[in-house]
Amino acid sequence: MAEVRFAKAINMALDETLTKDPSVVVFGEDVAHAGGPFGVTRGLLDTHGELRVRDTPISEATIVSAAVGAAMSGLKPVVEIMFMDFVAIAMDGLVNQAAKARFMFGGQCSVPMVLRTPHGGGVNAGPQHSQCLEAWFAHIPGLKVVVPSNPSDAYQLLKAAILDPDPVIFIENKAMYSMKGDLDEAAPAIEIGKAHIARAGDDVTIVSYGAAVNTALAAAATLAERDIEAEVVDLRSIQPWDEETVLQSLSRTHRLVILHEAVTNFGVGAEIAARMADIGFDELDAPIIRVGAPFMPVPFAKSLESRYLPDADDVIAAVEKVLA
Amino acid sequence: MKSRKAGNTAAKSQLLEFYERMLLVREAENKLSALFADGEVPGFIHLSVGQEAVCVGITSALEARDTLASNHRGHGHALSKGVDLETFFLEIMGKEEGICGGRGGSMHVADMSVGMLGANGIVGAGIPLAVGSALAHQVRQNDAVAVVFFGDGALAEGVLHESLNLAALWKLPVLFVCENNGWSEFSPASKQFIANVRDLATAFSIPSKKVDGNAVLEVHDAAVGLVNAARNGEGPQLLECITHRWRGHFEGDPQKYRSEDEMSGLADHDPIAAFEALLEKKKVSKADMQEVRDRIEEQITRAVEAGRAGSAPDFERAKTDVYTVREAV
Amino acid sequence: MSNGTELIMPKLGLTMTEGTISEWVVAPGDKFSKGDVILVVETEKIANEVEAPADGVFEDILVPAGETVPVGAAIARWNIGAAGATDKMPKEGSPVTSETPEKQLAPAAPAASASAPIAPPAREAGTRIVATPLARRIARQNSIDLGQVDGSGPRGRIKADDVRAAIPALAAMPREGARQIANPARRAPTSYEATVARRLSEAKRETPHFYLATEVDAGRLLDLKDQLNDEISGVKISVNHLIIAAVAKALAENEKANSVWQEGEIVTYDSVDIGVAVNTDNGLFAPVLKNLGGLDIVSIAAAAKAMVEKARSGKLAGDDLAGGATTISNAGMFDVTYMSSIINPGQSSILGVGSIRETFRPNKKGKPVLKQEMGLVLSCDHRIFDGVSGLTFLNAIKSYLEKPLKLLVK
Repeated sequence: MAEVRFAKAINMALDETLTKDPSVVVFGEDVAHAGGPFGVTRGLLDTHGELRVRDTPISEATIVSAAVGAAMSGLKPVVEIMFMDFVAIAMDGLVNQAAKARFMFGGQCSVPMVLRTPHGGGVNAGPQHSQCLEAWFAHIPGLKVVVPSNPSDAYQLLKAAILDPDPVIFIENKAMYSMKGDLDEAAPAIEIGKAHIARAGDDVTIVSYGAAVNTALAAAATLAERDIEAEVVDLRSIQPWDEETVLQSLSRTHRLVILHEAVTNFGVGAEIAARMADIGFDELDAPIIRVGAPFMPVPFAKSLESRYLPDADDVIAAVEKVLA
Repeated sequence: MKSRKAGNTAAKSQLLEFYERMLLVREAENKLSALFADGEVPGFIHLSVGQEAVCVGITSALEARDTLASNHRGHGHALSKGVDLETFFLEIMGKEEGICGGRGGSMHVADMSVGMLGANGIVGAGIPLAVGSALAHQVRQNDAVAVVFFGDGALAEGVLHESLNLAALWKLPVLFVCENNGWSEFSPASKQFIANVRDLATAFSIPSKKVDGNAVLEVHDAAVGLVNAARNGEGPQLLECITHRWRGHFEGDPQKYRSEDEMSGLADHDPIAAFEALLEKKKVSKADMQEVRDRIEEQITRAVEAGRAGSAPDFERAKTDVYTVREAV
Repeated sequence: MSNGTELIMPKLGLTMTEGTISEWVVAPGDKFSKGDVILVVETEKIANEVEAPADGVFEDILVPAGETVPVGAAIARWNIGAAGATDKMPKEGSPVTSETPEKQLAPAAPAASASAPIAPPAREAGTRIVATPLARRIARQNSIDLGQVDGSGPRGRIKADDVRAAIPALAAMPREGARQIANPARRAPTSYEATVARRLSEAKRETPHFYLATEVDAGRLLDLKDQLNDEISGVKISVNHLIIAAVAKALAENEKANSVWQEGEIVTYDSVDIGVAVNTDNGLFAPVLKNLGGLDIVSIAAAAKAMVEKARSGKLAGDDLAGGATTISNAGMFDVTYMSSIINPGQSSILGVGSIRETFRPNKKGKPVLKQEMGLVLSCDHRIFDGVSGLTFLNAIKSYLEKPLKLLVK
């Protein structure tokens, strides 16, 4: 057990899988010589060589589609898109190629690729470098979407994603790269699609994923001082997502708040809320409330962005509302 | 490396093989056209009638381990790379026993067992897939090359430019084949793309050639050279094949946008008729050619019968192929 | 387009909180006349025909047959007094038309009788009860009328805790297991199940039970039964019929046993009425055989047989289930030695009858004799009985069963 930063945990998972599996390759913009804009891939080129760890030109569409072609031809590519906002120019490879290959070719092949990309604000990166676009991918049959909330989960989930035979979008919140946490390399593997109860409680369920889980935990700590025990469910994976765990939690607390950093409208929270209103209808003792960003682009200025991002106070307000 | 004059020295049996392969593509597509008109082929299909020399000329220069990415006009690419004729018809007729279980149809015929990475419904999308496949060959050092077929309609797609660049930077074993039939869907390609593809290749330092895409031996000879160069670590290569699209963008396209002159002149560019004339010059007997024609007809009749006998795809089974279902450990 | 009004789920008895629509007799567009049957509602234990209070036109079904809704919920739209109604419609301005359907749906006092079709909901017709899904579920499971529950949530929304507070037994209990991980299958009880659960919980909670058990030597009883069946044709006499006759006689002789505790008063009946438990496809019912005093065994058997058939064909009326101080619950056809039953609400005792078993008993010389014995357990309401009066009643029954010729004497 060691304390490592989030970025290092990802680096360790990449290093370990590159070592163990010769079919794993890593490529993306500035991932090799520069070690990645956030230092996540630092050292991989030196250890594993330029055949398998490569810098690409700034060609997101081709980076992603080449990963698909490589995955269909025997490799397990792990590619990086420097900011999640840039996937907009790489959608064909993900949506029309990677997601559909297995299905439209009658199950002849899988596409075992991973696309790593950072989302999230909080670093004043502005409207085109801060978005949380995971709902786009969760909407596409054939893609999996994983969002870790701490270094240990990042390490475990990335290893699981690389081993997974299907295309996985692995999302890292860029504000978390320096977050420290305990990492036990010998801990059992995490299964994609299984949620984790990050904190147990009886009064309200807060479902979240990624960095927002930590916001939920902070809110829960404040609520506990007022004798309100919130249960925090860390989804870990949003496609597939763990309906069963959420339903079980809702069946205990009968109140549901869903938190994510992404824009609320038409988001992941909408899907969870709709599903729980369906299969968990008779468990609900209050309306389901979503907490997320307002329906606007991520603003740049510090004062604007801090107001834009959902925080613990927003979660507390939502909890108060469902407890009313 | 084979001689540029390979065509001139080729044995009679090899010439008949080229003939048979082109005829297979031609007759299969003619049959698909008829089946489509009769409502036995659903959806839409894009035929490559008139372009048979390109796919046959290229694929005859490939090894089984080589991979191929295709496009929406991809029947010839699939059949000449070795996709089984019956499962091909079954697929396009939308049957469970089709090569893709009836999920893909004409625009998504694929057969991983012969390195056919799939036709593609998105113009230009096969190009970076082939680049990725070539990357896999390079990393795995398996002495294979990747080939991609794209039309002149794909020249304005950004991924072509990105892919040429990346392939050249990484010296990937990939052959870019531009089937230049002059039409970009319903518009003349000249109104859509200001440059030309060989200048693009030059810009990215990619060796390129331009051939008469209706002359199968010329295509083959050029392909042999370029494939070998790619296989030998010389990086990506590009081949422009000038050819003609006889049918519409898709079946049922009335082609009002093409002049009568152009349409009536197409037969002058028939790669199969030209090859038959060549065979006669090479003293291949009419009886030998008839035997090939008979064999193709019989194969296609059998394939259509198989297609008709196929069963409707199973919805529940289809659902299980959205994700890889792994056996419980 | 429509000037119709809503037909609401009527309250067909004091305890009714919800009803299941078992059949719509009219279809949208049908005209009906006053007294025509509009629909059949299944409640608690009986099916009720709901009749039209006036002529009119039936417009639309809002709740299909098979669904259960709370009393007061809108279940259909009808138009009473519309153009197109039958010729028998009273003219405008006549006394009948001034009685609007709403008023008819809301008479001043709740109707206790099953024949009165419509009683008021707890809230004004058309007022939606705002409650959370969980609150609704808990209310349904406990037969709580949400109309009687105050909501503490936003805009008066009824929350789960509001309903729990309305259930005396639940209010004292801690919240449902917070650490419960398993997720067992759950379903709402049927109207019948909910009613049985509520009534029996109430009965067991409210009535101080005590139990008296004994064995009856049933040899002579069985002989008599066979003899009767050999010699009398028409009705087949069963052991149960003889037990009914024995209890009837014991009851007629025992004023205390024919008394019940009713809201702080002791009520003594002057007629001999006995409930008989009947198992049917729709559940267990205990219709009451009335006025058995002085009836001969053949008449008792005929009455019992008729009532059993009525119960099994689902035709019991509210009246059939009311009255009587005691019930016989015979489980003899199953394998049971003693059965201690819960006294039916409103009564003061119940006789649980076990199977007839062969067993060796010593005779006066100590030699084993094969006997046919039947276990009886009398559950008594201690507000009515004490040990002595309970045993008096039970021993009287036992005496009639062991000396059954007495049953044939008036």
